[in-house]
Amino acid sequence: MARIYLDNAASTAVDPRVLEEMLPYFRTSYGNASSLHEPGREGREAVEAARSRIATTLGASRPEEVIFTSGGTESNNLALKGVAFANRRKGRHIITTRIEHDSVLNSTSWLEGQGFEVTYLDVDEHGLVRAEALVSALRPETILVSVLHASNEIGTIEPIRELGRICTERGVPFHTDACQSFGKLPMDVARDPLGLVTLNAHKIYGPKGIGALYVRDTVRIEPWQHGGGHEFGLRSSTENVPGIVGFAKAAEIAHAEREGEMPRMLRLRDRILDQVLGTVPGAYLNGHRTLRLPTNVNLGFSGLEGEAITLQLRLDERGIAVATGSACSSHHENAPSHVLLAIGRDPIQARGALRVTLGRYNTEEEVERFLVELRTALGSLRPISSLMPGLAPALEVRG
Amino acid sequence: MSASAPGARLLLDELPGLDCGLCGFRTCAELAEAAAVKPELLTRCAQRALAPRPPSSPAPLGAGPCDSCALSVVPETRDWKDHLGREYDFVLQTFPEEPGPRETILPHNPQLTREMGIQKGDVLIGRPLGMSCGCPITHCGVVMSVDPRTGVIVWCVTGPLRARAEGFKDLGYYSAQAYEGLVTEARSELRIGARYWFLPRRCMLQWRHSGLINFLSRTPRGYQLRIEGLMIG
Repeated sequence: MARIYLDNAASTAVDPRVLEEMLPYFRTSYGNASSLHEPGREGREAVEAARSRIATTLGASRPEEVIFTSGGTESNNLALKGVAFANRRKGRHIITTRIEHDSVLNSTSWLEGQGFEVTYLDVDEHGLVRAEALVSALRPETILVSVLHASNEIGTIEPIRELGRICTERGVPFHTDACQSFGKLPMDVARDPLGLVTLNAHKIYGPKGIGALYVRDTVRIEPWQHGGGHEFGLRSSTENVPGIVGFAKAAEIAHAEREGEMPRMLRLRDRILDQVLGTVPGAYLNGHRTLRLPTNVNLGFSGLEGEAITLQLRLDERGIAVATGSACSSHHENAPSHVLLAIGRDPIQARGALRVTLGRYNTEEEVERFLVELRTALGSLRPISSLMPGLAPALEVRG
Repeated sequence: MSASAPGARLLLDELPGLDCGLCGFRTCAELAEAAAVKPELLTRCAQRALAPRPPSSPAPLGAGPCDSCALSVVPETRDWKDHLGREYDFVLQTFPEEPGPRETILPHNPQLTREMGIQKGDVLIGRPLGMSCGCPITHCGVVMSVDPRTGVIVWCVTGPLRARAEGFKDLGYYSAQAYEGLVTEARSELRIGARYWFLPRRCMLQWRHSGLINFLSRTPRGYQLRIEGLMIG
């Protein structure tokens, strides 16, 4: 039975073209990019070429505005802590939202312990941040605003250009976590009002363990990781040359193929949404129907939310990899999804979502098989209410 | 962002202005500029294509007020007291189409379900003993569904007349695991995950019970609840 991988928001397969480009930096050009000898110089040239290539995909005119890190989590940490401490004499107020990735929320939580004050913006029932809420929250002492571009859980796309413009007009740096949107949605930092942008490679068919933070040259930021002064003094550590090279290749491919790939993703996504929402009683969508990533489906099933782990296991038995928010499905998480709670779901619903995320290698045939297997698996679950046997809930849910 | 050419400006008026980027262009203005030359590009706008569809996101169960749902919060207009003078929060009504209150029960020896060949439509008698909902009165009811693997039975409690008329199987003792029913009036808004005092409508003793709401669905005829973690008193 062929495996069907539908968890591309968690990580993706490395594109063979990416792997091919990385291999020489494991086999032959493995020198330390800071060394003076030839293998080292080869590594340095590859790193700087990759920096330029990634800058080009972002629209950045200055390659040195791209700082390589170990991934999205580190980039978010650097953005938040680095800007906070560099600007602490100007003010100690930071704004973010309730639906950010843990690497943002746990960083802001830590900053609160260091004397910073954080405002967490609410979102609407679709997960959208309202510009008026940001305007109301901004203060003279606000030194940073961080709003993700697209939610890793529910796929909702935030109005970052409008939010960034509001911040830029007030001289406040605007950071966006673009881990889920980079390579999927257009971005051009030459024209978009973004001060800092978090990127990573393994969501775009690149290797794990490599990411970047775009830092506009006008943004004041301090290093958070100290050492030999790598990455223009902002992130010390021996450069991950193969990872950096792979990241650049993955970004270039995503950039070049986005125009053809995303409409295909959109068709596959809408096939799933139309089929499930149109034919499965009690199915509902988490997140915005249209303002969502072309790759993201996040579903709940009324009365079956408590069975999310069983649903995941049944699908896994049939070779289908999807994600759930079930507490029992993860070794490190025992709380309901903070994102689903933020959009108004109750704690049971917030544990019971099924996230299906599409990727480059998924086909129409895989989507059709997933739909068949999903229907079979749903039919075998135990609804919480005895009035809902066999997915025929006698419910009349109204908004 | 505005579009520059007159044709593009007209097209821009047709676009949602959300700048979501799903069409492949950074902004709606950029799509309008391109569509002024190549009109078929407008079909790329996912917002235009999908906006007329009916809403696909039903209200989350148990969240927020709803005009079309029949739950009246009546804090002081009635005496929320049981037969012993103790306060409760709501009355759990029977589903009108069913012969009595719907309960999920488990025989103290779950194997009885298989050994006695219990099936849908059977009339049973038994007494709820000990944890969780000990009651001094033997109950009679008709089976709605059975899980022979676990021994769990869903029945509707009907009273003794049906058992006398149709014959019955005697379960002996059982534990009441869950109640399901409708609520049309409550002393306060009901929330999933919270414990409440409640009065089962046909409880012969009219004693309050308590339990945890772990399923709540708003329907036009009231809130449909499932209550577990049951206790008498």
